[in-house]
Amino acid sequence: MMRLWRNRLSKGQGSTASIVVDGARKATGGRTKNRVVMTMAVFFGIYATIAGRLVYLGMLEPDEGGGPASRVTASRPDIVDRNGEVLATDIKTASLFAEPRRVVDADEVIEKLSTVLPDIDVEQTYKKLKSGTGFVWLKRQLTPKQQHDIMQLGLPGIGFRTEKRRFYPGGPTASHILGLTNIDNQGIAGMEKYIDDQGLADLQASGLAVAKDLNPVRLSIDLRVQHIVRDEIARAMEKYDAIAAGAVVLNVKTGEVLAMASVPDFDPNNPHNALDKDRLNRMSAGVYEMGSTIKTFTTAMALDSGKVNLNSTFDATKPITIGRQTIRDFHGKGRVLTVPEVFIYSSNIGSAREADVVGIEGHRDFLKRIGLLDRMQTELPEVARPTEPKVWKKVHSITISFGHGMSTTPLQTAVGTAALMNGGRLMNPTFLPRTEEEAMAASRQVVSASTSEDMRYLYRLNAEKGSGRRAEVPGYRVGGKTGTAEKVVNGRYAPNVRFNAFLAAFPMDDPQYVVLSIVDEPKPEKPGMGATAGLNAAPVVANIIRRSASFLGVKPDFSHETQATLVSYD
Amino acid sequence: MFRTTDILLIAAMVSAAAFTYKVKHEAEEQLAAVRKIEQQIRFEEDSIDLLKADWSLLTQPSRLQKLAETYQSELQLEPVEARQVVELNDIPMRPVEDFSTDPVGAMAQSGTDKVVTGAVR
Repeated sequence: MMRLWRNRLSKGQGSTASIVVDGARKATGGRTKNRVVMTMAVFFGIYATIAGRLVYLGMLEPDEGGGPASRVTASRPDIVDRNGEVLATDIKTASLFAEPRRVVDADEVIEKLSTVLPDIDVEQTYKKLKSGTGFVWLKRQLTPKQQHDIMQLGLPGIGFRTEKRRFYPGGPTASHILGLTNIDNQGIAGMEKYIDDQGLADLQASGLAVAKDLNPVRLSIDLRVQHIVRDEIARAMEKYDAIAAGAVVLNVKTGEVLAMASVPDFDPNNPHNALDKDRLNRMSAGVYEMGSTIKTFTTAMALDSGKVNLNSTFDATKPITIGRQTIRDFHGKGRVLTVPEVFIYSSNIGSAREADVVGIEGHRDFLKRIGLLDRMQTELPEVARPTEPKVWKKVHSITISFGHGMSTTPLQTAVGTAALMNGGRLMNPTFLPRTEEEAMAASRQVVSASTSEDMRYLYRLNAEKGSGRRAEVPGYRVGGKTGTAEKVVNGRYAPNVRFNAFLAAFPMDDPQYVVLSIVDEPKPEKPGMGATAGLNAAPVVANIIRRSASFLGVKPDFSHETQATLVSYD
Repeated sequence: MFRTTDILLIAAMVSAAAFTYKVKHEAEEQLAAVRKIEQQIRFEEDSIDLLKADWSLLTQPSRLQKLAETYQSELQLEPVEARQVVELNDIPMRPVEDFSTDPVGAMAQSGTDKVVTGAVR
């Protein structure tokens, strides 16, 4: 080009000069120059094409195979129980996909794949491979061995995507506590949601949730006890043909929930039915009229008021009539009862009279103080709000004294009882480990220590002589209170549709744990037998305690068994 | 003289280039090795996670209970009874035995023991 330009320049110079010396060079030079220019043009063209093509290819988005980019499933911390057993973890699984456009021979692919995946649907897979689309899933979540074997086949047009998936080794064992995650690995229920609300969601959003940096979240749950609880309530539900059952084991001194289960439940690994209405967590998200177990609180209230002591008596000779309602006793004795008798015979009349001593306002204040009327504060998001009458009248106070007319959650009832057992300190239940000191610091005194002392005595007495005899476990000094509540059907209390509960604590000389079991609408075990709480809810508690006490670190003690009664009270 | 400097410089340049190439090549090899090891580590970590999950799956109380029930006749495993749980203090002291008629006691009187241990010379 330079030469061309120079030539032209020289030509121009030549034309301005008057003398033109062209000579012999010009005779042949003109043609030579043309050839050179042509050759140059050709080469220039070739290189320009190559360069252009290079730029084009460079700019071109590579037609990358492999379908959609790997779903960025943010990591979640493992959830472990109090002993470090894994309750929930992230696992990476490989999923097999194909790009039908790139598959050379669909028949060969299917034939070879079926050697590794014998259960593959041949016809459907064939259709998928022939569909001509860019991307199809062939099989989700393979085992590492299957993945390796398929890789060894060396098939073109198929590949793997790593997917992170939440895995719950225990399946339904602790489903209601652990909760669920959605397809993007975000917690949507239970402790999984709680973990997200604690800042994990923000971490994930900013992309900082790296698996290695996430410490496992330790819960207060003990997997062994949790299994026992679920096993027992599942059995009870079957045995008594109930519509639901549930139980909770609560540490009295720290407020930690050791185990809590409610059946029917769901498998968090395959939560297709998790949102069904009957699968809610009845222990914390269901409210019930707890029935006679509430007499625990009525009695404690009367004792704590200072106007009543264990030797006080209440007239239970006649039913109480108020408005249209008449309050009767199931196991009516038709005489004047002492406070312990009111408790162990579960006298409705006696309880109503106990509430009367305190007055309507005092009654409501006490239940409020012990936390039965407010929404419970705990880590689980699924917590129901108790219901109470809008305006408390005399009749409400009377019915609530024996557990009707007010609904609360079973877990809350257990928490309130824990306060009555541990010397009067009410503490929020927690699903995270907590020491006794921390629990004490966050607790408040709701009843006096002497009331707590009296309640322990009454609980033990009821298990020895009263309705809780079937909850007796040799060596573990169980004490408890039954509750058989009639359920409201079509606006009326139905006599044979029941909600049974058994509220227990053990060992009674120094209560460590509160165990509450509920059985919803149990049928008699055999025709002719009753279906009261003493017959179904109490044995559940007994079984749970028998099987789990050694895990819970409660030492069996048989020294009391030989004595006729516990220390007599004066 | 002029030539010699040239040659020396050229030689130095070539050797420097060769050295640079070698170092670069080695660094690349090392990097490749590091990447490979990192990948192996990732793979192992994933495997550990998977095996942990597998372990907890295999040691689930519900699974163990089922197994214990299935093989009840062979294993004869029973839940621990409350009466079986005792503390060290609850175990009675072993009664003192009379060693005078014991052959061990007699051996001590029959002179040196024939057994030679390693420490005895």
